[in-house]
Amino acid sequence: MFISKLKQALICLKAGRVTLAYPYKPSPPPEGFRGKVKVDIDKCIGCAGCANVCPPGAIEVTDFDEGWRRIQFHLTRCISCGRCEEVCPEEAVKLTDEFELSTNTKEDLTVTIEVYMDTCQRCTRCFKPKHPLDKMMVTGFRQ
Amino acid sequence: MLTAKQIIETLRTRFDKQILGAEEKVSNQVFVRVVPDALIPVICFLNQCFSPRFLINAGTDVVQQDGKYVVSYIFSFDSEKIFLCIQVGLDSADPDIESITPIIAGANWSERETRDLVGISAKNHPDPRRLILADDWPEGVYPLRKDFPYDYRPPSEPQNKVPLKKPPEGTKVIPIGPFYPVLEEPAYFKLFVDGETIVDCDYRGFYSHRGIEKYGDSKLTYNQICFIAERICGICGFIHSTCYCEAVERAAGIEVPLRARYIRTIMLELERIHSHLLWLGIAAHIIGFDTLLMQSWRIREPVMWLCEKISGNRKTYGMNLIGGVRRDIPAEIHDEIVRVIEKIERETVEVIDAVVGDTSLHARLKNVGILKEAVARSICTVGPTVRGSGISIDSRVDHPYAAYKFVDFEVAVETGCDIWARTLVRLKETIEAVKIIKRCLLEMPDGPIMGEVMEEIPSGREAICCVEAPRGEAIHYVLTGQDNRPYRWRVRAPTYANLQCVPYIIKGERIADVPIIIGSLDPCYSCTERMAVVDVKTGQQKIYTKEEIIKR
Repeated sequence: MFISKLKQALICLKAGRVTLAYPYKPSPPPEGFRGKVKVDIDKCIGCAGCANVCPPGAIEVTDFDEGWRRIQFHLTRCISCGRCEEVCPEEAVKLTDEFELSTNTKEDLTVTIEVYMDTCQRCTRCFKPKHPLDKMMVTGFRQ
Repeated sequence: MLTAKQIIETLRTRFDKQILGAEEKVSNQVFVRVVPDALIPVICFLNQCFSPRFLINAGTDVVQQDGKYVVSYIFSFDSEKIFLCIQVGLDSADPDIESITPIIAGANWSERETRDLVGISAKNHPDPRRLILADDWPEGVYPLRKDFPYDYRPPSEPQNKVPLKKPPEGTKVIPIGPFYPVLEEPAYFKLFVDGETIVDCDYRGFYSHRGIEKYGDSKLTYNQICFIAERICGICGFIHSTCYCEAVERAAGIEVPLRARYIRTIMLELERIHSHLLWLGIAAHIIGFDTLLMQSWRIREPVMWLCEKISGNRKTYGMNLIGGVRRDIPAEIHDEIVRVIEKIERETVEVIDAVVGDTSLHARLKNVGILKEAVARSICTVGPTVRGSGISIDSRVDHPYAAYKFVDFEVAVETGCDIWARTLVRLKETIEAVKIIKRCLLEMPDGPIMGEVMEEIPSGREAICCVEAPRGEAIHYVLTGQDNRPYRWRVRAPTYANLQCVPYIIKGERIADVPIIIGSLDPCYSCTERMAVVDVKTGQQKIYTKEEIIKR
């Protein structure tokens, strides 16, 4: 009993102080961390492949005006799995190393982009003007 | 040794026309269709001849296809490495089946769940109360039937009450939970005590049943479920996603590359290390030994950082997809993995050395919460809980998955039957996990990490997968369907099997020991939303309803 207690004390003493100084000092995550999603609006072609594969259904696609498509990433639902990044044919979606997401305003947790597209004369849905269909076929739109 | 063919042969010769079909659909997985009347004789016969271990049953609604409900009773032949699935088709007008709980006590919850969710009631069930559904869920509405839309919310019927057990004569009632300081997760145990000694107990849980199975087979696609399955549990998430993926891969006949299987094994064992160290800390905290809590969690933390580096997140790795894994473990990181886990091994050995001789721990943990071997077998308990009672069941050996076929390791078994034995099993497994990871890193072949996946997974195929989680076996049964999603996906978490033995292991113990006894199962359960208040002076009990709580 006494020897056990001594050994336990020794373990504690050897460990020393292990608490990190975070949040007073930054604690950057390692490379490849899956954090807050970031979308490059210049690259996005509005194919909605990300919305198709998103497991929690956090990506909302609305064709809100003639030729305009809005893609919203609701981070309140996002599980940071990174499937959107994986399937994006244009590499427009990236998961950053930002992980401090707490906020007082809920709107901060929605990443919204609006892409100008053409409207199909038959089905009135949007599409990207320059060879978009070819691109979808090639890069696995449905995954 | 008994083979799958011999099992089919034996059943066919004994039951002849009562067997409607028998087939080895997946290697070492036998599916036998019997007529409803023959179910009990078949199970009795199996019990006498081979005594297989009951795992779960799963009810499936195939009314649209052939006007029937199908119940699948899944058994495991451990030493033969075979799964046997006895299936019974029931007429949709009268979906009743004789209960098997009188023969196999471990089928108790499983049959009640099938009744709650699919509406197949078990006749002559010893405890036919509601188990899963909320108290105010209307009668006759069965969420896992195919005519029930996944987003439908039935009207509340507050007058429905699940009757709790009446306390035996001369006993008082002590409620543990729903929110109890030492058990972090809410669950409600109603203890019947005579003085300090516990006579019996009742359990009510499942209040935050999330309906993941329904969501999976009506909304998600095959690859989306991997990530949702990972969120079934906060600690053994990767186990559930691996188990689901393997079940689908087996059903569809998808070949997973060897490297991907090794990566899965490594991640599973990393998860086992951090889960066991977490448990050690919590168990120590429950008995008031916070030094051990601090130290074991300190030892654990580098594993979390390591996982973050490998997978991009501390806990939810998100690595699995049908057919393989998404991220490789590159050669540059191997040294670091070995360094971290060797440090953990060294420190865990130090901790073991420091606690095994501690008589104050012995006083709390030895000869407390005794789970006898016979009880463990009849309740179909799994994992370290049962290995602490001298039964060597480990699905890593019994039903190899991932790369466990190629890795030798020792199954930790203790014969003490008490909490101390369960503690030792977990500590030994932690050390063993380090060895497995090192071995895997050495032997891991080069090659692709994602296999060839066919455009469309064919429908109507079924398979079972069993993965050894830190707490016991997780079991997933998948029946593939149309529209790129499973037709039926049945999940059983290990605590589901283990929690059923609580009434047996707390009987005769003292109230103060209850938290650590329940804690020794490493439970992982859902929330509950109701509370019981006992008036000490009169012994009168009042249960507050949801409305009353809101009013206050």
